[in-house]
Amino acid sequence: MSDYLLTQIINYGAPLFGLILFLAALGIPLPASILLVAAGAFSQQGFLDWPSIAIVGLLGAVAGDAISFGMGFYARNWVSKHVEGSPAWRNAQQSFDSRAGLAIYLTRFLITALAVPTNLIAGGSGIKFRRFMAYDSLGEFTWIILYGGLGYIFGSQWELVSDFISNFGGLILGVAILGVGSWLGLRRMRSVENEDVNKKIPET
Amino acid sequence: MNKQINLRQRNFVIGLIIIGLMIVGLFGLRTARAFKKFHGHRPPPPFAAQHIETDVELIRDWMTLPYISITYGLPPDLLYETLNIPPDGAEKKSLRQLNHEYYPNVSGTVLEKVKAAILSYQSTLTATPPATSPPESNP
Repeated sequence: MSDYLLTQIINYGAPLFGLILFLAALGIPLPASILLVAAGAFSQQGFLDWPSIAIVGLLGAVAGDAISFGMGFYARNWVSKHVEGSPAWRNAQQSFDSRAGLAIYLTRFLITALAVPTNLIAGGSGIKFRRFMAYDSLGEFTWIILYGGLGYIFGSQWELVSDFISNFGGLILGVAILGVGSWLGLRRMRSVENEDVNKKIPET
Repeated sequence: MNKQINLRQRNFVIGLIIIGLMIVGLFGLRTARAFKKFHGHRPPPPFAAQHIETDVELIRDWMTLPYISITYGLPPDLLYETLNIPPDGAEKKSLRQLNHEYYPNVSGTVLEKVKAAILSYQSTLTATPPATSPPESNP
């Protein structure tokens, strides 16, 4: 798939690149980060125009994110019907609301595998669309400048950068899962300890 | 009921930690390996205009003939002549597609021919003596 898209980006340039980033932001599994690094390299080699690639790519990615936010927004009635009143859901929603900006920003370029789920959760959690768009645009801008810029600097050696970036993204995802697991584990241990203490108090 | 929920929560947390550790282990090793490769290379001079690539090992079969010609600074028709392919209709096709079309029985033929053509062109460039100014006559 990557190889086919690379050939087509050389042939059709910025419009196709923008479309790919749009579809990837909707959740279609396309290698957007790899293509972004490659597009930076193609710009350095003179095949693509870097400002056009950056602007069209940014618009495509932000439009896709806005639609997936909308999907989360319109699915929230269905979700709340199924989990309404659940304290776990309320807890999760509250903790997302307090860190929503950071989560939206970081998942655009650091933990890209979680970008679409974050859009859906953000849409369903009721955070304001304007706030979502501000963090989203900033994150996508960082992603395009960082990844595209590395491709631009490394030119024909972009595959080395892309290989490193995709593995590093996987590593960060693993660290995030491990972090959430450890945090939940610690919280659970504390609540079990508290329960034990509460049980002991009436006895004394 | 409460015990069942607790057990489920505990299993979920343990599952997350195990999955997290597995991903960290797998991608940690791959990242280290990619970093080693990445670290050993220097990028071309920053913002170098008209940088011409010379390493044929960077050629991949998703590349098109015009892309390779420009990247390696070749005359536009050289690769079409080498492969005996008419340029019309072939300029948007990848090396893999061209191979499939013109050499369906042997995979990688187009890629190898392109590499050989570039090496041969580069050797003619280095063999050509540099242009020097005519010797000035001593007064």
